[in-house]
Amino acid sequence: METRAPLSAHGKENLCLVMDPECSRLLPALCAVLVDPRQAVADDTCLEKLLDWFRTVTEAGSSLLLLQENPCLVDLLSHVLDLKPQDVSPRVLSFSLRLAGTFAAQEDCFEYLQQGKLLLGLFGEAGPLSWAVWSVPTVRSGWIQGLKSLVQHPSGLHFLGDSGAVDALFSLQGDSSLFVASAASQLLVHVLALSMQGKAKGSPSPKGNAWPACAQKIVAHVEASLCSAAVLQVTQALNVLTTTFGRCHSPWTEVLWGQLSPLVAHLLESDPIPAAHSLVDLLLSVARSPVFASADCALWETMARMLSCLSPTQAGPLALGTLKLQHCPQALRSQAFAVLLQPLVCILRATAQAPGPPGLLDETVEGDSMTVDTLLSSKSACVGLLCQTLAHLEELQPLPQCPLPWPQTLLMEAVVIILRLCDGSAAPSSSEGRRLCGALAGCVRVQRAALGFLGMLSQGTSSWELVPQVFAILLETLESPASSPTVLKKAFQATLHWLLDTPKPPGCLGLGPHAPLFLRELFPVLQKRLCSPCWEVRDSALEFLTHLSACWGGEADFREALLASEVPKLTWQLLRDPESYVRASAVTTMGQLSSQGLQAASNSPGHSEVQQGLVGELLHILSVDSEGFPRRAVARVFTEWLRNSHADVARDTEWFVATVLQMVSQDLDWEVRAQGLELVQVFLAQTLGQPNPPCPYAVALPKVTPPSPLPEVLQTLCQMQIFDFAFRALFDCDRPVAQKACDLLLFLRDKTAPCSGLQEPGNSSDVASVEATLERWQAGEQGQPLGSLEPEVVLAALRSMDLEGLQGRLAESSDHVEKSPQSLLQDMLATVAVLEENVADCY
Amino acid sequence: MPEIKVTPLGAGQDVGRSCILVSIAGKNVMLDCGMHMGFNDDRRFPDFSYITQNGRLTDFLDCVIISHFHLDHCGALPYFSEMVGYDGPIYMTHPTQAICPILLEDYRKIAVDKKGEANFFTSQMIKDCMKKVVAVHLHQTVQVDDELEIKAYYAGHVLGAAMFQIKVGSESVVYTGDYNMTPDRHLGAAWIDKCRPNLLITESTYATTIRDSKRCRERDFLKKVHETVERGGKVLIPVFALGRAQELCILLETFWERMNLKVPIYFSTGLTEKANHYYKLFITWTNQKIRKTFVQRNMFEFKHIKAFDRAFADNPGPMVVFATPGMLHAGQSLQIFRKWAGNEKNMVIMPGYCVQGTVGHKILSGQRKLEMEGRQVLEVKMQVEYMSFSAHADAKGIMQLVGQAEPESVLLVHGEAKKMEFLRQKIEQEFRVSCYMPANGETVTLPTNPSIPVGISLGLLKREMAQGLLPEAKKPRLLHGTLIMKDSNFRLVSSEQALKELGLAEHQLRFTCRVHLQDTRKEQEMALRVYSHLKSTLKDHCVQHLPDGSVTVESILIQAAAHSEDPGAKVLLVSWTYQDEELGSFLTALLKKGLPQTPS
Repeated sequence: METRAPLSAHGKENLCLVMDPECSRLLPALCAVLVDPRQAVADDTCLEKLLDWFRTVTEAGSSLLLLQENPCLVDLLSHVLDLKPQDVSPRVLSFSLRLAGTFAAQEDCFEYLQQGKLLLGLFGEAGPLSWAVWSVPTVRSGWIQGLKSLVQHPSGLHFLGDSGAVDALFSLQGDSSLFVASAASQLLVHVLALSMQGKAKGSPSPKGNAWPACAQKIVAHVEASLCSAAVLQVTQALNVLTTTFGRCHSPWTEVLWGQLSPLVAHLLESDPIPAAHSLVDLLLSVARSPVFASADCALWETMARMLSCLSPTQAGPLALGTLKLQHCPQALRSQAFAVLLQPLVCILRATAQAPGPPGLLDETVEGDSMTVDTLLSSKSACVGLLCQTLAHLEELQPLPQCPLPWPQTLLMEAVVIILRLCDGSAAPSSSEGRRLCGALAGCVRVQRAALGFLGMLSQGTSSWELVPQVFAILLETLESPASSPTVLKKAFQATLHWLLDTPKPPGCLGLGPHAPLFLRELFPVLQKRLCSPCWEVRDSALEFLTHLSACWGGEADFREALLASEVPKLTWQLLRDPESYVRASAVTTMGQLSSQGLQAASNSPGHSEVQQGLVGELLHILSVDSEGFPRRAVARVFTEWLRNSHADVARDTEWFVATVLQMVSQDLDWEVRAQGLELVQVFLAQTLGQPNPPCPYAVALPKVTPPSPLPEVLQTLCQMQIFDFAFRALFDCDRPVAQKACDLLLFLRDKTAPCSGLQEPGNSSDVASVEATLERWQAGEQGQPLGSLEPEVVLAALRSMDLEGLQGRLAESSDHVEKSPQSLLQDMLATVAVLEENVADCY
Repeated sequence: MPEIKVTPLGAGQDVGRSCILVSIAGKNVMLDCGMHMGFNDDRRFPDFSYITQNGRLTDFLDCVIISHFHLDHCGALPYFSEMVGYDGPIYMTHPTQAICPILLEDYRKIAVDKKGEANFFTSQMIKDCMKKVVAVHLHQTVQVDDELEIKAYYAGHVLGAAMFQIKVGSESVVYTGDYNMTPDRHLGAAWIDKCRPNLLITESTYATTIRDSKRCRERDFLKKVHETVERGGKVLIPVFALGRAQELCILLETFWERMNLKVPIYFSTGLTEKANHYYKLFITWTNQKIRKTFVQRNMFEFKHIKAFDRAFADNPGPMVVFATPGMLHAGQSLQIFRKWAGNEKNMVIMPGYCVQGTVGHKILSGQRKLEMEGRQVLEVKMQVEYMSFSAHADAKGIMQLVGQAEPESVLLVHGEAKKMEFLRQKIEQEFRVSCYMPANGETVTLPTNPSIPVGISLGLLKREMAQGLLPEAKKPRLLHGTLIMKDSNFRLVSSEQALKELGLAEHQLRFTCRVHLQDTRKEQEMALRVYSHLKSTLKDHCVQHLPDGSVTVESILIQAAAHSEDPGAKVLLVSWTYQDEELGSFLTALLKKGLPQTPS
């Protein structure tokens, strides 16, 4: 049983904040079941959810009152203690420990439970700690979690000190379960912080020997662990300290560091350095703490020493962390950056490339041999170090703390050569270079990392002379038959970055000098990739094309290169791809190309036929495609076309919308139906004007005057069967559709009232008939059509409906009833009876 | 000491959210990345923070392997790869790769539809995640990198389910995922060769159960459906789009055909077409009978099962409807259930597990008055049946698999602690191997004895062969050579070659032993006596008496000297090189026995 954060905020909103009478009535029976060894409890999730609910209830009110009103809860805790060892269920015990802790978090309730010696029984040395069931990790985890909840006040702290729990926590730090060990460390930090809480205000902070006993005990244990010869113990101590400095930013932490830093520094003298990874975390945690914002020379010295004596792979995270610090001496930053760059510099040296700007390498010589050794020692070490370095640099570049000057040229050259080593096109002459070649040839991991970083490098200021080199390697990668689908995806992303962020010489307009040339070479490659046997590649190519045409659709060079290629034709063919993901992407791409008049040569005589053909093709997909993705994509494209007044839509908008709705309303995929409502919304905004701003203080958009008088518009809407569609959607079995339909009908109602041009309906039986049909629809019988509607009847029906009430109900998650505590308690009780029949099954 | 480490983040003494970390010879592999459907918050996913604290995920993990498409084995994958940030390779079989996104999408739609969850993975994330997948064939050895290789074996259970062998050098682990050792109506039985892994990680859902034949359950199911439609009732079977639905469809289709029934059967998902497409595509993964009859009749082309339209639910008369989702927690199955629940002639058959909180769970636990939205109470009068069609190996099947694979040790996951304990003891007794059952978060460490491959030079081998003896498999032979460790490789070569390759000069190493003999004769005479003795004893060796008075036998040098303290004694200094260690020792022992008395 791991110890996770109890519940997300989202989960909480569905839980009742108070104990209602129905729950109070069910609780005694449930408590009795829990302590009955003959009854088995359904599953862990039920107990977890029950605990979530108690936590919510106690956070909102008095725990003491809760226990007094529901004595069965205290009985549950005492019964658990009275059970015979063989009858104790680890799950129930763990639950009880956590429940007791939750109640005892309030001091008065703590005192109440203490009177009955319940807490000592549960958490003291004679309790579960000494029982056989302690060997079950769930119990140990529950014990720690319970204590953690309990230790929220001075009484809890005293209890912890007196009960001997701190010693148990020390040993639990080395528990066989990761979850338990981690929770024990967290609790020690919590206890340390809480016991020092009162001391935070006094300045200067008292020396360690004047600290509360509990804090002193923990610190002494940490000190002893730091001096231990066992790496595991050192690691535990370092982890406790890392969490402490990460969470507590009071002056006492400065005193603590002053006391412990010599011991930490001493660790650096061992070879190899014990628990290097944890040590790095600790130093960074201390350096990040605002308490140490003023220059602490000793800390920086320790970090500098650490940087120089760790192996390159271990030093990487420290270097990155150092560079991300807000305040840090320049010398240390330079050292850290040099460490980070070193593997790339070594690659450049080994492959006899120009080693970047003068001066940069001077600082890197120190650890050079160690880096070279790592790179050459084995293939996996080489790959590991390079991937890590490239990822660190990729993370660093967009940050405001990014070091300056940023050696853009060196990095670009290094990445290009790494990619060449991977694809085998580099032929280094040195023996190191050849060995690197052997280690990296065909290495997909390094290729992916390098392409990721190369994409990020497009954001830097590069000299535009270097850009052709980048384009050349990207093209080679995209072209190479050896490139795997994941590499190609990264290559497409990097290419997109470089195309869109290409540096241009000053005064250059359009796409710059390199892009047109590159595009002419790119499209044949793209053509090939659109025909790839791997759906992943076809899809990535289409996504790339969509993004590129969205940004560059208006650029003459781009249009020319695209239309001169077979790419639009191939994209069209992919509308019938066997893979639904690809069909969906092809729909999006065609939608994009068509919006920009890019689907065929614009001067070809058959342009409008092609265009008409596309609408027909997309409608065909919408009506017959067996899968949701392409149909959803079509509905989205149509909505976009309507929004942007696409020529084919503008020709006969009403016909278009009505045709689409007719198909969409029958769709089995609720997301397609929801997209249909989106389409209607855009259409209504265009015909009736924008919805009113929800906030009265928001700046109102200029009102669009409907092009036709309202009665006519309503008549058209009726003819288009928009109301039929919206009413049907209102009672859809899928909540988001109903929710959207409700919003839409509210908008319609607001826009049409008061509608001066319309009379009250002459025949009230028409209204009654519509209302009756709607009621049947609501009951799930949607077989009967609504028939032809008159605007007056629709408006009357709209006004008579409680749309606001429906909106409120739909806003709730549709399983809020089943998620309620009553439902949970009922389920748990009901399950007990039938558990034996339906043996724990799974999927 | 080399070791294999296993840490379950999920499926350790529980069912749901399978996720097991294996560290083998420095490689880290994640086995399955499942989701627990019983939780509505982040607890549904395994707690990945225990991996992320080891640095960047993609650097730490060498690969993720998914055993099959069920969500408790793959449901957290898009979250892990697109939200937590794993960017490395994911391996699964071809059918799993095809079907997995359908179920993930199905679940995403329900989560967003029903609960309005905004912080959930999107369709795009599922697609991006699937693009990281490398699909594998059965019995194909796939190199993840130079050292790590994986191989898939047929697991039965569901279409595309596989067991995986993970191998680094001579160390290996087999992970079963979920498997079934008996063939069912559409799939075959799991099989693995005698691969003798260091560790077998096996599921143990039915650790203590010996399951009755599936035929009985099938008969029972058909009988209940038939009885209900005969009396004019409607049957609702809530299912997930793929998997059990197809198995039950085949069952009903065959029965309808045999009995010539006319009552309509509907399938409501709109996914039948796709599901059938995949079953046709991956026909080689189904059982023998389906494969054999495929040419005459495709079992996945149903004559009696038609697509369902919402309006059909109100039609009078009997019918059978398969509707999604499977736990009656949203969408169409719930809508139909609400319509039909009030009629005692109708029946709902739940063919699988339901998590707490769902209507499926409530009716299975016997609740008959369900509170619905808006304080409405739905009275359930229709009959409720539960029929487990889940296809897991039972205790006998698990033992059978252990016997088949012959592992050095076994580790149990995906089961309840109590039942596992029983099976653990049984395995240890029967197979005399260690069996582990770690809880989630607990690490099991197994020491291993790796065999390190050593290359032998041709020259050395030829020299050995020249000595005339042919090597025999069962008779080990001593071979002298020099072991060179270079670039993580080991090679055995002759000493001369080693010296040459390493550019080293040869050092002479001589061992000297002093043998004390009581003899008053002069040193020269003594040496002569030694010479005569050895000459007569060692007929096959070259024994020489040198002019300086010393005696040599091959490279062994023997000199006689006076004893410094005892004038009545002499000392024989015997010195030899390490190559003649055997002869040197023999001579020393021989001389220690003394020299034969010369005839006076």
